[in-house]
Amino acid sequence: MSEKQNKNVTVRVQKIKKNHIKQKLAFFLILAIGLVVLAVFSEHLCPYDPYAQDLASALQPPSLQHPMGTDTYGRDMLSRVISGARASIFSTFILVAVISVLGTAVGVCCGYFGGAADAVMMRISDVCLAFPGLVFAMAIAAILGGGIQNAVIALAVVSWPKYSRIARGQTLALKEEPYIHAAILAGDSSGQIMLRHILPNMLGPVLVTAMLDIGTMMMELAGLSFLGLGAQIPMAEWGSMMSSGRSMIQTYPWVVLSPGIAIFISVAIFNLLGDTVRDYLDPKNSRS
Amino acid sequence: MRKYAFRRLLQLIPILFAITFLSYGMMRIAGSDVVTQKMENTGQILSEDKLNAAREQLGLDKPFLTQYFVWLGKLLHGDMGNSYVSSLPVFDTFISKLPATLLLTVTSILLTIIISIPLGILSAVKQNTIMDYLIRLCSFIGNSLPNFFVSLLLMYFLAIRLRIFPVIAKEVSLKSVAMPAITLAIAMSAKYLRQVRATVLDELSKDYVAGAKARGVKFSVTLWKSIMKASLVTIITLLMLSVGNLLGGTAIVESIFMWDGVGKMAVDAISMRDYPIIQAYVMWMAIIYVVVNLLTDLSYRFLDPRIRLGGVKQ
Amino acid sequence: MRAKKFLAMAIALGLAVGATAMPTLAAEKKTLVFGDTTFNAENEEADINPQNTYAGWACIRYGVGETLFRYSDTMEIEPWIAKEYENIDELTWKITLNDGVVFSNGRACDGEAVKESLEALVANHERAAGDLCIDTIEADGNTVTIKTTEPKPALINYLSDPYGCIIDMQAGVSDDGIVIGTGPYVATELVTDDHVNLVKNENYWNGDVNVDEITVRTISDGDTLAMALQAGEINAAYGMAYASYPLFENDDFTFTSTATSRAFYAWMNFESPVTSDPAVRKAIAMGIDKDSFVSVLLNGYGYPAVGAFPDTFSFGGQNLTTESYDPDGAKKVLEEAGWVDSDGDGIREKDGQKLEIRWLTYPSRQELPLLAESAQATLKEIGMDVQINCTSDNNTIRKDPTLWDVYASAMVTAPTGDPEYFFTSCTLDESASNNGHYHSDQLEDLEKQMKQEFDADKRSDLAIQMQQTILDDNAYVFCSHLRMSMIMQSNVTGLTAHPCDYYELTADLDIN
Repeated sequence: MSEKQNKNVTVRVQKIKKNHIKQKLAFFLILAIGLVVLAVFSEHLCPYDPYAQDLASALQPPSLQHPMGTDTYGRDMLSRVISGARASIFSTFILVAVISVLGTAVGVCCGYFGGAADAVMMRISDVCLAFPGLVFAMAIAAILGGGIQNAVIALAVVSWPKYSRIARGQTLALKEEPYIHAAILAGDSSGQIMLRHILPNMLGPVLVTAMLDIGTMMMELAGLSFLGLGAQIPMAEWGSMMSSGRSMIQTYPWVVLSPGIAIFISVAIFNLLGDTVRDYLDPKNSRS
Repeated sequence: MRKYAFRRLLQLIPILFAITFLSYGMMRIAGSDVVTQKMENTGQILSEDKLNAAREQLGLDKPFLTQYFVWLGKLLHGDMGNSYVSSLPVFDTFISKLPATLLLTVTSILLTIIISIPLGILSAVKQNTIMDYLIRLCSFIGNSLPNFFVSLLLMYFLAIRLRIFPVIAKEVSLKSVAMPAITLAIAMSAKYLRQVRATVLDELSKDYVAGAKARGVKFSVTLWKSIMKASLVTIITLLMLSVGNLLGGTAIVESIFMWDGVGKMAVDAISMRDYPIIQAYVMWMAIIYVVVNLLTDLSYRFLDPRIRLGGVKQ
Repeated sequence: MRAKKFLAMAIALGLAVGATAMPTLAAEKKTLVFGDTTFNAENEEADINPQNTYAGWACIRYGVGETLFRYSDTMEIEPWIAKEYENIDELTWKITLNDGVVFSNGRACDGEAVKESLEALVANHERAAGDLCIDTIEADGNTVTIKTTEPKPALINYLSDPYGCIIDMQAGVSDDGIVIGTGPYVATELVTDDHVNLVKNENYWNGDVNVDEITVRTISDGDTLAMALQAGEINAAYGMAYASYPLFENDDFTFTSTATSRAFYAWMNFESPVTSDPAVRKAIAMGIDKDSFVSVLLNGYGYPAVGAFPDTFSFGGQNLTTESYDPDGAKKVLEEAGWVDSDGDGIREKDGQKLEIRWLTYPSRQELPLLAESAQATLKEIGMDVQINCTSDNNTIRKDPTLWDVYASAMVTAPTGDPEYFFTSCTLDESASNNGHYHSDQLEDLEKQMKQEFDADKRSDLAIQMQQTILDDNAYVFCSHLRMSMIMQSNVTGLTAHPCDYYELTADLDIN
C-alpha cells in the first residue's frame, strides 16, 4: 500500500517536473525564436542604416535618438547591434548544423563499418583536434580572404570530431544490440540499418550537444573576429565591433558594452535552451 | 599498462608528421611572409630585389616541399631552427615562454577547483533553494561572457579603478598572474560548477545514499567519503581537457594581458608568418593532445576499476 | 627616567636625520619608465645595434647612439658628433668632428673610431651599403674623408639615418645586441621584445644628464600601454591608440606631438579599367573627406595631407595644390565623363562597366581600416561602390594589377629627410614599388635633374614640381600625415616629439 502510494507520489512529482520543464522549454524556445526572427528581419528592424556614416555625430552617448549611442563613424549602435545579430546568429547556426550533421555521419559510418576506414578517419580527427584552431583560422582567412564565412570554416574543421566521436561510440554500442543483429539477418542493407535503426538513437545526444554548442561556438566566432580573423570591416558583427571599440572601454564604453551585452544575452539564451532540451530528453525525467 | 601507453605514444609520430606538414602548407598557401610583414611594420618601401634577397637568406625562395623537408631534416637532427623575426633559436624561445604558460595553467586550475567544487556541492545539496539559484545564476553569467569581454572588464576595474593588480606583467609572479588567471577561472568554474552539481545530484539520488542515511551515517561523512569520490572521475576528466587547452596557451587572454606565454607567442608568430615558431607551437599542441588523452584514459582505468577489468559492466 | 628621556631624544634625532636624509636620497636617483609599442623584433628592432636592420632606431631613440649630423625641427641638417662637412667634389666629402666627443666607456670618438664604425656598418648592413656607396674612408685626427663610388647628393642625409649611429667597434657588440655609443645613456641590460635598461652616461660629452636610470619597456598593445600609463606603471608612452587620447587630455599628463613623413595615401592603378580614367581618379581625390577623417577618426591627431611630405618640410604640402573635398564637384566630373547611374541603384555605370572600386589595404596600421571605411562611405555618396579588401597579404596582391583599383598604404615618404627616395621607390618607371604602373614623361625628366642636383634648395624645388606633377595626374591621393605623439605624466619634462621620429630620450629629459 505504502509502496504504491510512494510510487504514485514519484510519478506525480515527475509529471510536475516534466510539465515544469515543458514550460521552461517553451519559454526559452520563444526567446530563441525571437532572436532568430530579429536576425531574419534585422534589415527592417534597424531604426537607421547600420552602415550610414555621419561623422558629425560620432561617439554620441546613448540618447532617445540613439538608444545605444553612436560609434566612431557616427553609425547608430542599436542598428549595428541588430544587424550584427544576423552575422553572429546565422553563422553560428550554420556552423553547428554543419559540424553536427557531418560529424555524426562520419562517426556512424566509422562505428558501423570499422576497419581501416575507421582507423584512418579517427587519425584524421586526431589531427584536426590537435591542430590549433588559431593557425587554421589565420591560414583560412588569408587563403580565402577575410570574412565571417572563413572563420566558420576554420572552426568547423577543428570541431567536427567531437560529434563523430559521440556518434561512433554510440554506434559501437548499438551494433551489439540484438535488434540490429535481427535487422542484419533480415537482410536490411547497411544504409537502411544506419538510417532506420542507428541514427534515430543518436538524435538525442547529438541534439543536446549541438544545442549546448551554440553558445560556445558563438563565443568562439566572436573571439576570432575579436582577433581580427573573422568578420571584415565594415560588416556589423559583434566580435569585431567589440574589437574595434576595445580601446574605448573607458572613454566611450557604450561602443564596447552594446555588442558585449548582445553576445552575453544571446549566448545565455541558447545555453539555457540547450540545458532545458537536455533535461527534457533526459530519460530520468520522462519515466512515467 | 606500460605497453598500452607506449603504443598510444607511438601514435604521436604520424600525427606530428601530418600536423606539421599541414601547418607548413597552410601558412604557405596563406601568402604573405615575414619579409613583407616586416616591411609593413617599418613603413619602408623596399625594392623587389631586396625583398628577394631577404627571402633567399631565410630559404623562403625554395619550393614548398623542399622547405618542408629541409625543416624536417634539421628537426630530426634536433635543430628546430631560428626564428625569422628575432633570429633566436626556436627551442630556446619556446622554452623561455613555457614557465609563464605553466604558471597560468596551474593558478587558473587551482582557482577553478577552489571555486567550483565547493560551490557545486553546495548547490547540489541545497538544490532548489535560493542559494542554489544564486550559484547557478552566477554560473550562467560566467558561462555566457566571452573571455575577452571579461578581460577588458577586469583590467578596467581591478587595475585602473582599484589598482590592486599591475596592468603589465613585468615578470612571472603571482601578483601579475592574478588577472589572466581570474579571467580563465571565471569561465572554467562556471562550466565545472554545473558538472559538479549534476554529478553530485546524480550520486545523491542513488540508493546507497538513502541506505547510509537509514543506517544513521552522518550526511557529511557520506558526502566526503562516497559522493566526492564518485564525482572525482567526472571532474578529473574535465580538468585534464582544460589543462590541455591551457597548456596550449590561451591566445586571447595571453595577448590582452601581455602575458608572455606560448599562446601570445603563437599569435605573434602567426601574424608575422614566423614559420619555425609556428611549427614549434603546432608540435607542442599535438604533443599535449596525445599526452592528455592518454593520461585521461589511464586515470579512468585507475579510478574506475570496472574499466580495468576490460570494460565489462557489472 | 633619564634613560627614557635619552631614548626619546635619540628617536627624535633619528627621525629628524632620517627625515632630512630621505628626500636627498630620493633626489639622488631619478628613474623613469618609458613604454613603447614599437621596440620589438616585429618592427626589426630586436636590439639596439645600429648595424642590425632597423635596430638603429632604438639605438638613437633611447639616447644610446648619436649620428654625425642630425635634423633640426625643420628637417635641415645640423652638426652633432661632426662639426661641419665640405663637399670637395662630386665624390669626395670631408667631415670634421667636434672636439672632445667620447664614447660612454671613455674612449675618444675620433676620426679613426668613426672610420671603424662606418666600415663595419657597410660591411654588415646591406641597406646602408646600398645607400652610401662608400668607396674609401680616410681618418686623420678629427677629420674623416669619404669617397663614394658614384655621386651621392644625399650622403649627409643618409649618414644621419639611425643606422649611422657611431659606435665603438673596439668594444664591439654584445651577445644581447648592446653597443657602446656617444649618447647620454648607456644600455646595461637588454631582452628582445621585453625591455632595455639604461643608466646615465657619466662621460657624456654634450652637457649634463638629469635622469639616472631609465627602463624602456616593450608594450606592443596600445590599450595595455594606455592602462599602464593611467596606473602609473610607466611615466611616458610612445604609440598610444587614438581612441585612448581623451583619457590623458587633463592636467596630470602632457602631450608632445609633431607631423612626421609617415603618410597615409592611396595609389591608383593605371591598368584598371576604372581608375585608368582620369575623371574617376579626380572624383576619388575629390570624394575623400580628409579633414573629417583626421578630425573625427584620428581624434585630431593627424594632419590632412596635400602632397607626400608634411608642412614641416621645406618641400612640404604648403607649396602644392590639389583637389579638395567636394562631393558635388566630383559628381559633375563623373557625369561629364559619362559615368551615370542608369539603373537607379546608386552606383554609376559607363559602357556596362559598374563604378566599382576594389580598395586594397592592410590591418597592421590602425589608421588604414579607418581610412578605408571612411572613404567607402563618402565615395558611395558620389556613386562609387567601394569594396574593401583589408588583408595582410596585400603585398602579394598589389603586384597583380588585375586584382585591385586603389591601394591604401602607410609608408614613410622621407625616412632620411631627403625627397628623392619617395619618387625613386614609388613613382618612376623603374621604381620597384610602382605597382599601379603610373608613368609620366614630365616626372621622368624631373628625376633626371634631381639625380644630378647637389644643392639642397634646388632639390627642394624639384621635389615640389615632382609632387605637383603626381597630384595633377591624381596618380596618388595623399590623405593624411601621421601626427606622432608621446604622452607623459606632467612631472616629466624634456621629452619632445621630433618630425623625423628619431630622437626621443635625450639629455634634456627630466622627471620631478
